[in-house]
Amino acid sequence: MLKFITAILTSLATGSIYALMSTALVLVWRSTRVINFAQAGQAVLTTYIGYEAIVRSGSYWVGLIVAIIAGALIGAVIDRFFMRPIFKRVTTGPIVMIAPVVATLGLLGIIQAVIGFKWGLSYQTIAAPVSTDGYRILGSVIAFSPFNLMVLVSVTITMILLTILFQKTNIGLALRASAYSPEIAKLSGIKVDGVRTLGWALAGAAGGLAGMLFVPSSYLYPNSMDVLLVFGFIAAVIGGLDSLFGAVAGAMILGFAINFATAYISSKLVFPMAFIILILVLLIKPGGIFSSQKGRKD
Amino acid sequence: MRLLFFILLGVALFLASNRVGELRQYQGSFVAMYSLAIASIILLTGYSGQLSLGHSALMAVGAYTGALSINSAHLNPVLALVLATLVAGLFGLILGFAVARLSGPYLAGTTLALAVSLPTLANQLPILGGEQGVVFDVGAPPARFGEGFSQYKWFFWITSLAALIMIWMIANLLSSRYGRTFRSIRDNQTAASLAGLNAGRLKVVAFAVSAGVAGLAGGLLVMLISGVSPSAFPLSLSFSLLTGAVVTGVYSLKGVMLGGLVLVAIPEVADSITTRIGGSEGFTATLPGFLVSALLIAAVMFAPNGPGQIFRKSNKQDNHTEGNK
Repeated sequence: MLKFITAILTSLATGSIYALMSTALVLVWRSTRVINFAQAGQAVLTTYIGYEAIVRSGSYWVGLIVAIIAGALIGAVIDRFFMRPIFKRVTTGPIVMIAPVVATLGLLGIIQAVIGFKWGLSYQTIAAPVSTDGYRILGSVIAFSPFNLMVLVSVTITMILLTILFQKTNIGLALRASAYSPEIAKLSGIKVDGVRTLGWALAGAAGGLAGMLFVPSSYLYPNSMDVLLVFGFIAAVIGGLDSLFGAVAGAMILGFAINFATAYISSKLVFPMAFIILILVLLIKPGGIFSSQKGRKD
Repeated sequence: MRLLFFILLGVALFLASNRVGELRQYQGSFVAMYSLAIASIILLTGYSGQLSLGHSALMAVGAYTGALSINSAHLNPVLALVLATLVAGLFGLILGFAVARLSGPYLAGTTLALAVSLPTLANQLPILGGEQGVVFDVGAPPARFGEGFSQYKWFFWITSLAALIMIWMIANLLSSRYGRTFRSIRDNQTAASLAGLNAGRLKVVAFAVSAGVAGLAGGLLVMLISGVSPSAFPLSLSFSLLTGAVVTGVYSLKGVMLGGLVLVAIPEVADSITTRIGGSEGFTATLPGFLVSALLIAAVMFAPNGPGQIFRKSNKQDNHTEGNK
């Protein structure tokens, strides 16, 4: 019973971190129709910036805020000064199909190398702001700590804020309209390019938050977010790539599947489990479990 | 005609191998191996329009197959390399059924997941030797070549011959009916389907063939480094191959050797830069990755359809301007 409760709680905590990454991927996908593989690099770079802020100020919370703002700025800059020129330049030949993906991969490599130049390859740690010792239930310690609870709460708040932004504000309406139909949005006076940059900025902020919430229970090194990128992608595919709700739900499904498989079967099952889920979803319902559209849009 | 070209190239390489030092022979073997791996990417991406980031994993499949068949089954190394090709191809066939119908970002992401997860799986199976991996010993060169025949020259001969034969076969395949049908599904899948082509099946075929070629390249790679372990096939290998393919021009096999040369040259260039200007440990370790990525971005920005594009800029009416959005 205790094992069961622990598995549920850890699933929620890891699932919520996956949710931030999958949300970041979906935000970019909706605005640009690109899977942003550089997201792993952006997130880890902003986490390094947050780390630097923590070292200078001595406070985790300063680092968290700095990382979120830096994430948004980096996302916006990448879209405005990197992705947009590439879309403008590469317009002919079959390379058009793969150029955006290849460009984000190149960017990922550049960012990770730059981190290596600046901070080296050694492992850094960020101390959690609250205790990482597990709670005690009925006299035994479980693998769920106040920090995990903090992760869960902050991701929930973020998701509520994002939902309000998308559903209740004019900016959210513009974001949805540009994602749904760029041409019509443009005709109704929405600056689609600017809205797109905003989507990248939001995604960058989500990635920065993900990094700052993930690293205290792990390590900080140039590749520390690569695995999260893969899990975020799988979660986004489960959710159908297009829907924010789907991204969160997909992340939770993935979190539960991985944690229950490791708790009850074998701890070696993390990657096989994730990969099997991905293949199953792609084979059975390639549009994603929560997609509202019929068929997949490429 | 093509056969003649490959034979001449082979003779030229043979003559060259007698004239250069051991380091160049060793580097030459890597050029051949990378050229082969890049050819597998070009076959897949350039001709059938599928983008794979999982070729490092497919190479690992071939590498482990080769190493195990030499170590456990005591097969002849040549047979082991053939087996590596076949098993990787079979693996690609099975995987192809699941993923080859996917397009663009889905395929890229799924193969990325494969590249990340397969090496961790290799760590957990005892037969694959965990982090230490398995030794891959191709054996000393036959005695009849004489005393002065070095191991590196032997490596060079094997990799060059394997690469020449395989790339020749790919070139033939691509100029055959299959190559045309691959291009037609890449350029316009709807039209190709209307013309009676089974696009799904063709994509699976392309994926399986490409996986087989990658498997052979993987087998050759671990022969050169004389052992296979999960860390020999990082995700960055997939990225390097993609860079090589884009630099070569994804839509033509003609320049694969250029891509191979670039991939071998990059660590050398990085090395000479760091010895000249110095720099921290992090700088030295990440400079090659930086150069690869910078080259990839530069290639996409300035010569997205291959280096030839720079020279024929005025000639706007390219073969592939229409029909792919």
